[in-house]
Amino acid sequence: MPRTVSPGLKDALVAQIGNLRAFAVSLCGDRERADDLVQETLFKAWNHLDSFEEGTNLKAWLFTILRNTYFSERRRKKREVEDVDGAYAARLSSIPEQHGHMDMQDFRDALSELPDDQREALVLVGAAGFSYEEAAEISGCAVGTIKSRVNRARRRLADTLKLDAAEESEDERSETPQVPESRSA
Amino acid sequence: MTEDENDKAPRRMAVDASKSTDRQDAGGLAPDSKPDMSMSPALQAHIGRQVRAMFDSVADEPVPDHLLRLLKDLDKSGEN
Repeated sequence: MPRTVSPGLKDALVAQIGNLRAFAVSLCGDRERADDLVQETLFKAWNHLDSFEEGTNLKAWLFTILRNTYFSERRRKKREVEDVDGAYAARLSSIPEQHGHMDMQDFRDALSELPDDQREALVLVGAAGFSYEEAAEISGCAVGTIKSRVNRARRRLADTLKLDAAEESEDERSETPQVPESRSA
Repeated sequence: MTEDENDKAPRRMAVDASKSTDRQDAGGLAPDSKPDMSMSPALQAHIGRQVRAMFDSVADEPVPDHLLRLLKDLDKSGEN
């Protein structure tokens, strides 16, 4: 049993459920499984709340539990059935023939094609709002590894979705690009 | 780039969230020395917007009842 949980901490936990669901969906590509993952994460988090230092990064702590849960399960399944990747790939619909405007489904498909570690890194840094350092903590790897995964993920997405110079200049016309990192070349 | 295929280093699978700081798969990637070739800031930004839009579309959904109930139940069981 955990110690008595302060209402503030409980509220903070509840406030992260949406983020956890989004992270879980982007990891496993399956909404039902994602909610199972979130449920397991909340359960584990609750039972280990005494190992969480209040005042530190609750969101990062929860994300860590979720991804560790996901990857250990996936690894176990991979040992059982040697074709987890194949099953994942089979769910993909066709790759869009034309570049230009892509809808979210095309993007989801392309994202699901990425290797797990690249997808994770891109989502942590590019969507969940973590710094490279935090993402490295969560994934248990070096900061440079996260950076390189994010770069490879972007490049692969651009390839898969056939994003080229045309798309790019379209963006430049419509708004000032925001660069999510300091490198500007 | 064959690195993609080879980058299947074993990962730490322990569920203990408090121990996420090891750096064991840092070796061999030479990450910082690699320039981010051919990816323009505009394209990066474009991809960034897509990832965020996808993430937010789920994150902004109302939380399913069964997840909220779970926390309530856990809370109650702790009071005993």
